Amino acid sequence: MKKKNSVYMLIAIPAFILFFIFHTYPTLQGIFYSFTDWKGYGDWSFVGIKNYLNVFKDERALDAYGFTFKFAIISTILVNIFSLLVAMGLNGKIKFQKTLRAIYFLPYILSILIVGFIFNFIFTHFLPGIGESLGIEFLSKNILGDPKLAWLGIVLVAVWQSVAFNTILYLAGLVTISEDIYEAASIDGAGVWTKFWKITFPLIAPFFTINMVLAMKGFLMVFDQIVALTGGGPGKSTESISLLIYRGGFEGGEFAYQSANAVIYFIVIVVISIIQLKFLEKREVEN
Amino acid sequence: MLKKVTASILSLALGTTILAGCGGNEGGGAEDGKVTLELFSNKAESIDTYKGIIAEFEEQNPDIKIKLDAPPEAETVLKTRLTKNDLPDIMSIGGNATYGELGRAGVLHDFTDSELLKSIQPSYVDMIGRLVGTEEEGVFGLPYATNANTVIYNKQKFEELGLEVPKTWDEFIAILDKAKAAGEIPIYFTLKDAWTGMISWNSLGANIAGEDFAEKKTAGDTTFVKSYDEVADKMLTLTEYGHKDNMGVAYGDGNNAFASGKGVMYIQGNWAIPEIVKASPDIELGTFAMPVTNDPAQNKLVSGVDVLLTMSEETDHKEEAMKFIEFMMNKDTSKRYIDEQKAFSAIEEVFQEDPVFEGIKTNFETGAITSFPDHYYPAGMGAENLVQEFLIEKKKEPFLKKLDSEWEKVQNR
Repeated sequence: MKKKNSVYMLIAIPAFILFFIFHTYPTLQGIFYSFTDWKGYGDWSFVGIKNYLNVFKDERALDAYGFTFKFAIISTILVNIFSLLVAMGLNGKIKFQKTLRAIYFLPYILSILIVGFIFNFIFTHFLPGIGESLGIEFLSKNILGDPKLAWLGIVLVAVWQSVAFNTILYLAGLVTISEDIYEAASIDGAGVWTKFWKITFPLIAPFFTINMVLAMKGFLMVFDQIVALTGGGPGKSTESISLLIYRGGFEGGEFAYQSANAVIYFIVIVVISIIQLKFLEKREVEN
Repeated sequence: MLKKVTASILSLALGTTILAGCGGNEGGGAEDGKVTLELFSNKAESIDTYKGIIAEFEEQNPDIKIKLDAPPEAETVLKTRLTKNDLPDIMSIGGNATYGELGRAGVLHDFTDSELLKSIQPSYVDMIGRLVGTEEEGVFGLPYATNANTVIYNKQKFEELGLEVPKTWDEFIAILDKAKAAGEIPIYFTLKDAWTGMISWNSLGANIAGEDFAEKKTAGDTTFVKSYDEVADKMLTLTEYGHKDNMGVAYGDGNNAFASGKGVMYIQGNWAIPEIVKASPDIELGTFAMPVTNDPAQNKLVSGVDVLLTMSEETDHKEEAMKFIEFMMNKDTSKRYIDEQKAFSAIEEVFQEDPVFEGIKTNFETGAITSFPDHYYPAGMGAENLVQEFLIEKKKEPFLKKLDSEWEKVQNR
């Protein structure tokens, strides 16, 4: 027993140390600096909770919260619908199943920035061309240049890219369901819908939970897609919180202030994830 | 048990030191007797020019090697590196708010006693001095190349439409109307990139609100609401002469579109000219300073320090870095730089003779020049996105109030 323990320790401790150095320590540093007026360099002094008070008065930050939540909720829902559909399709008895699985996973391997730049090109050059030749007014302009539509472009790219990963998780869940249950249900005369709602969905509930939490958390921290597509524009219409923190912190010399913003945001994400977990796990138990 | 843990921590620590050792060497390493210097540039446009100049320099100085680094979002990269106390040896950066911050942070070499300073036009030295402010004494950079905020026009189209270079705002509007009536796109806007809106904004702001707006604003003597009303109106007037997707085209695409004959005029800096000519080598371009008021004597050209050379105070190879800066500043190299970059030189007696700049030559000769207003705005306020938003929503009053409140908010942090 004792020997086993030391093996575990040997595995865990280096990981713990690395995690602490590269993750926990910078986080603590960030929290520390959020109570100062540090600009990212030079001298600083403590200012108490002034930064935090200013964040709550900052309209720009509130706007960014609004956009980020709108984006994250809609994207999370869309990603889960699409990835569940794709996963069920790929789990069925179809030809080239393995090849198709690999192809559907491809977007996840590509860098978000590259995907973003490619879509940027499509939105700027291809879509307006198609829109013009078909006479569709709203497509004949670059939708990324319209503050009312730009966020949809970002949703499209984000969803297209992350469906791949969530599909894999759903697939992993689907293969755990035994064929026998479906056969039994068929004998009892259950249709496709009944099978889905009474068997498939309840049995993959844990995977649903983890997908919802991961997708939501990922989309709340949206950054790369926006940098590649709109840079927060037009105006401030697609300025996410991560982008605001990065821009203000590193370009605007507001390191301490944006650290405070980041700390608040960290708390918000943790709270949301916990609520999601609690709520969705309760659903799992009930089933 | 404990021993094992200690051993593993030790080996890890050892590993990190070895890694750190590698990292350290990379920066200013002196392998095989050669000194490697890092040259950091914030301009993607000048990469080829710099490569040429570096090759020439390395030929003359075989024991110095220059590594060029021109990353995207260069100013952010530079600030991040400042946080890590890892500044490049030599920097070629813009004369803007970032330079001011670096200067105040005391991390740049002070060139006050340098001979090189004497060869530079004093007005540009003053210009960058104002960026640093009065808290820190010294000259922390050598203005090298300067730019001009211009209206670029397609000469062929001007001839076809019978247009003349305007001297006053009314004349300017008149030719815009004429171009529009002829079915042309009068101004090709690229407002998907927020910063391109600042070109017009700066020409208007500098001439209407005055050069000392930032100082007055900081002192509480004026506000955007008071001084920028006319600027905002004229911004909106200009966007009426754009194309149908003003907000959907970015700078790079705009250069190509203008080069291919879309648009009669293009409100951009001189730096766009090499890009346009690259896309369409036969195009004939002209430039003029945007006539902002109806009094030709009042209309000045907005020009700023586009590139200044400076070096880190901490570098281990000051002598070698200085050698490179001296090489850059000599008349031949500066001439080469401005010829290739279609820029203007801050160095005395080095003139830009390209015919494209015929229209603004007199501005440089008579000194009818003013500086970029937005270089003196607090960096954190993100003025360009606010201006972009205004051009979409077109609500003047709330926009000007917002500029005021953002300015104050950033200052209070």
